[in-house]
Amino acid sequence: MTSNGSPVTATSPAGSIYDLGYRHYDGPRRGRVWAMWSLYAESLRGIWGFGRPMSAKLAPMILAGLYAIVAVIQLAFSSVFAQRISEGDKITLATYSDYFAAMWIFVFFFCVAQAPEVVCRDQRYSVLPLYFTRALGRVEYAAAKLLSLATSLFIVLMIPNVALFVGDILMKTDTFAAIGTEFPKALPSVPASVLVAFGLAAISLAVSSFTPRRAYAAIGIVAYVLLMEAIPAAIYSIQQSSAGGAGGADRFFLLTPITSLEGASAWFFNAKLDPQNFQGSLTAQQYLVAALASVVVFAFVLVFRYRRVSA
Amino acid sequence: MPLIETVGLTKHYGPVKALDHLDLSVEPGIIGLVGANGAGKSTFIKLLLGIIAPTSGRATVAGLDTVTQSQAIRQIVGYMPEHDCLPPDVGATEFVTHMARISGLPRTAARERTAEVLRHVGLYEERYRQIGGYSTGMKQRVKLAQALVHDPKVLLLDEPTNGLDPVGRDEMLDLVKRTGTDFGITVVVASHLLGEIEQVCTYLLAIDAGHLLSAAPISTFTQHTPVLAVEVDEDANGLAAALAGRGARATVDGSCVLVALDSDGIYDFVRDAVADMALPLVRIQQERRRLEDIFREPAATAAVPPAEVQQ
Repeated sequence: MTSNGSPVTATSPAGSIYDLGYRHYDGPRRGRVWAMWSLYAESLRGIWGFGRPMSAKLAPMILAGLYAIVAVIQLAFSSVFAQRISEGDKITLATYSDYFAAMWIFVFFFCVAQAPEVVCRDQRYSVLPLYFTRALGRVEYAAAKLLSLATSLFIVLMIPNVALFVGDILMKTDTFAAIGTEFPKALPSVPASVLVAFGLAAISLAVSSFTPRRAYAAIGIVAYVLLMEAIPAAIYSIQQSSAGGAGGADRFFLLTPITSLEGASAWFFNAKLDPQNFQGSLTAQQYLVAALASVVVFAFVLVFRYRRVSA
Repeated sequence: MPLIETVGLTKHYGPVKALDHLDLSVEPGIIGLVGANGAGKSTFIKLLLGIIAPTSGRATVAGLDTVTQSQAIRQIVGYMPEHDCLPPDVGATEFVTHMARISGLPRTAARERTAEVLRHVGLYEERYRQIGGYSTGMKQRVKLAQALVHDPKVLLLDEPTNGLDPVGRDEMLDLVKRTGTDFGITVVVASHLLGEIEQVCTYLLAIDAGHLLSAAPISTFTQHTPVLAVEVDEDANGLAAALAGRGARATVDGSCVLVALDSDGIYDFVRDAVADMALPLVRIQQERRRLEDIFREPAATAAVPPAEVQQ
């Protein structure tokens, strides 16, 4: 510090060497896109509980684990019994195309648990005015929140797909050839997961954004999804049991949140719709259109809500 | 160029006139915005921030229109809301850094500014603890820090001393004063407590029921008035009558007789009258204007004669 080597503390009061006074900031100021990206990253951390107490990490991790558990078991089997499998035995608990239809309840619970966390918190603790008096616009806010939950759901949905893929490869003796044959089978799970992620994220955030209370939001999501699954089924069975068959009542199934997403993912795998899960004569393509429309509608509801909410 | 300028600024909430044709023009400094609860202080601040739109009229901050250029205003304005606005489950450092990034600061700058600003507002070791465990005083400091972190030109503080004990109140006012004088940031402080405004502000805006009562440098409110207060222990009415008999304009205010200082002879009249009547004299003092008077004067001049206005 000083050329004569005298200790700094001798001349300056303790602590003052670090106190440079208030300094103005004249560096760059980025705009809306950066603000949106920052909110996206922060929300993503929040969903998984990073930077939050341990208790905030439990629910997302456990639910993601439960959703993946069957695929992980299959992966474990295929590595343990690799020898027997190569001799011709087959161990298949799940496939890419029917995994979501079988295990959707855990992804749904993930939404119920974490969607309120994403949006209710900011209303509950009145953080919104701080956002809306900054570079961030209301549309950007809604978009960042939707993207963060959709990304999280995509991760949850893809973990078992990756596990299934690895398991399938381990079952084969020629790994490189296996990648070549398995990869095209696994690939449709990527766009299917993107669609399911956005579909569930849009519905659950749109519902959650109307209340600052997490519990109400969770109840709202469950109520909406269960009702919209049950009502079309009820209409359909009433129509069917009354005179002269269903007569087009099956089109109400297009309003179902979960079933239409299952039908839409079947489209990506070019799979036949299992008549046990899908009543009526709707095609996978129709479900795909319905699912895409639902994403758009609920994304608009979310944006509309944040355009109106007072800051 | 005036920093804040409004022309016919009006905001109605349904039938309620929160602000009614506000015309004012304010230079940089520490500006006190004073008025009773519900007088329109928060509405005024929100209009300046551009988070609510005026019913009619317009306002500019640093030459930027609050409606058409609100995006640009948000870059140069910091806002500390009246209510709680802090999520309880993150630390102050993480929260303020996040807000800095939403304001457009790049990652590194956001971290550095956060560290500096938290030190300025007096948060040290506790900055990494969760905000939920903070005292009200610490929370107010975090709220101030998030408003300061992007180095605004104008700081809008809505009731910054809300809920603080006397010591916390003085510390917060000292911080506000330092922000205005040392950091060179224009501060608008809304408060319903005149004493606070008097302590820190250089300029005063007084609003009442949506109308502007006065706008002037604070010194003009506290200068000497041409009124002599003569306090006696008994018979103030008799003294007033005696002084009136000598041609002075005198009114009674409690145990005080207020005498207009029309000429130097007034002092002699008072001395003689008190001596003649053998009254126990407590004090003779030239009255200072008090800040409260600006809220009393319109009512006083309208209906009640000054002598009957009680403290």
